[in-house]
Amino acid sequence: MLAPVLALAIFIVAFWFIATERANKVKTVLFAAALMTVLGLIPGADIFYSEHEGIDWNVIFLLLGMMVIVGVIKQTGVFDFLAIWAAKRSRGKPLRLMVMLMIITAIASPLLDNVTIILLVAPVTLVICDRLRIPAQPYLIAEVLASNIGGAATLIGDPPNIIIGSRAGLTFNDFLVHMAPAVVVIFALFVAFTGALFRTDLRGNDIHPGEVLALQERRAITDTGLLIRAMAVLALVITGFALHSVLHVAPSIVALVGAGAMLLVTNVDVAEVLPEVEWSTLVFFMGLFAMVAGLVHTGVIGALGSVAESAFGDNWFAAATALLFGSSIVGAFVDNIPYTATMTPVVESMAAQAPDAETGQALWWAFALGACFSGNGTAIAASANVVAIGIAQRAGHPISFWRFTRYGIVVTLLSTALAWVYVWLRYF
Amino acid sequence: MTITTGTQRNAAMQAHEIAVTPPTVRTDDPVSKAVQLMVVNRLPGLVVVDDADRPIAVLPGTQVLRLTIPESYRDDPALVRTVDEIHADLFWHGPGKLTVGDCLPSPVAKPATVAPEATLLEVATVMANKRSPLIAVVDRNGRLTGAVTLERLLTSLAVAGPND
Repeated sequence: MLAPVLALAIFIVAFWFIATERANKVKTVLFAAALMTVLGLIPGADIFYSEHEGIDWNVIFLLLGMMVIVGVIKQTGVFDFLAIWAAKRSRGKPLRLMVMLMIITAIASPLLDNVTIILLVAPVTLVICDRLRIPAQPYLIAEVLASNIGGAATLIGDPPNIIIGSRAGLTFNDFLVHMAPAVVVIFALFVAFTGALFRTDLRGNDIHPGEVLALQERRAITDTGLLIRAMAVLALVITGFALHSVLHVAPSIVALVGAGAMLLVTNVDVAEVLPEVEWSTLVFFMGLFAMVAGLVHTGVIGALGSVAESAFGDNWFAAATALLFGSSIVGAFVDNIPYTATMTPVVESMAAQAPDAETGQALWWAFALGACFSGNGTAIAASANVVAIGIAQRAGHPISFWRFTRYGIVVTLLSTALAWVYVWLRYF
Repeated sequence: MTITTGTQRNAAMQAHEIAVTPPTVRTDDPVSKAVQLMVVNRLPGLVVVDDADRPIAVLPGTQVLRLTIPESYRDDPALVRTVDEIHADLFWHGPGKLTVGDCLPSPVAKPATVAPEATLLEVATVMANKRSPLIAVVDRNGRLTGAVTLERLLTSLAVAGPND
């Protein structure tokens, strides 16, 4: 009886530290994981080998591989080129510019992680807005919202999907077939809604398109050969994901092979690319998985699963609804990654009780949609939001918590509601 | 043999003997002041201190220059290449109201410091590892007592070392 209580207590305290940012999150999870180990709350060396009660290496190595791939793509300058090109095409019209930037962001976000996209897109957005003499905040916010929505479409677009996919055994194609249609429709509606959402920000600005035309976007790309080769490797990696059912190679392996291929083919200096890997993020994930393993091993997750099952009984639609809206709300107030890592085993036990595979999967999709869209809810709901706000702050265009959240809440509510309609129509 | 003679001559040389008293900046000082101080005093870098005169950061000259570069450009060489010449020269007027604290990297690297009684070898090693032409000398309470520049160190080593 003591073990589950201890595990839960350690977990909650650590979670609190992470959510309130009172301590460095990597240090926190490592400390909590170590404490759980010392107290015998996690399954010893099994933590390294167990697929269900251990560190999910699929996730870690998929992230690592993609980080290396992205690290090389960053060096090509392609985002700066696209953004400036878009700005020139928009002739400085605010709404057109915003939509084009959002589309560029949304096309990239299913393939690259959201934080990287923001790191790539924010600086050039700031320069463009500076040239046009318009405030950058609405554009940055719109880009963040677009990237969080777009990222939900594929297995690799958003870390919650990577965690869910690995645990539930869902493939890249499963996500394409089940998530992408919803995301495409929701994103289209979001774009259509953008004019209304940002109408006060986009109104009557003095646009000076001339200075944007002075930017030389062609100079952003110094090595076209590098760009072409990098894009080719990326395309092969995506194909590798899609052919999982044929090749039977795990996504993490595909990503690692792709990373190696990328380094070989582009002849980039390894020493330059390795710092691009966010090692602290990977260590954070490891510690987080260890903590959750403690909850699984001591039976806390099992108990939570039983509670959920008795609450919903046979009403699987209610269960899916609760997962969707519950994730959307909770994930908005805490970073959606720790939330997803914690809830995944609970959803797994719920899905195991489902009457058929389709219903079980529906629970996963409801959970995934809720967890991904929750990232837009508040300024702290996802790392991409925090990064964008930090960049804006340091460039002298601060975005307050409430300014972001005002837009974020509306977008999250709408996207979650639309997702619910989708889940209802498609699965129940 | 030569080494022993060298050390005997060097025995008295410690960091505090070759240190200078550097002008310092605080985090709320404007970036333009930082650059000015560095140039006017012909220093290879600057020490940023807190209110108790404890070093927060020791910035080599290139990193002081980095403070003046707008954030959007700092880590994006591709973006910098797109800037046309006319606008490129304007970046110098950019910093404006920004303070040193606004522009310091986060997290800022631990400042390169040595104790007053550090040997020249210690100073040289810290300088080389931290890639900084300026090292802060701090007392036991961590307060700044002086700074050693690369030029002073090399001169002292050349003067004190064996003549070949």
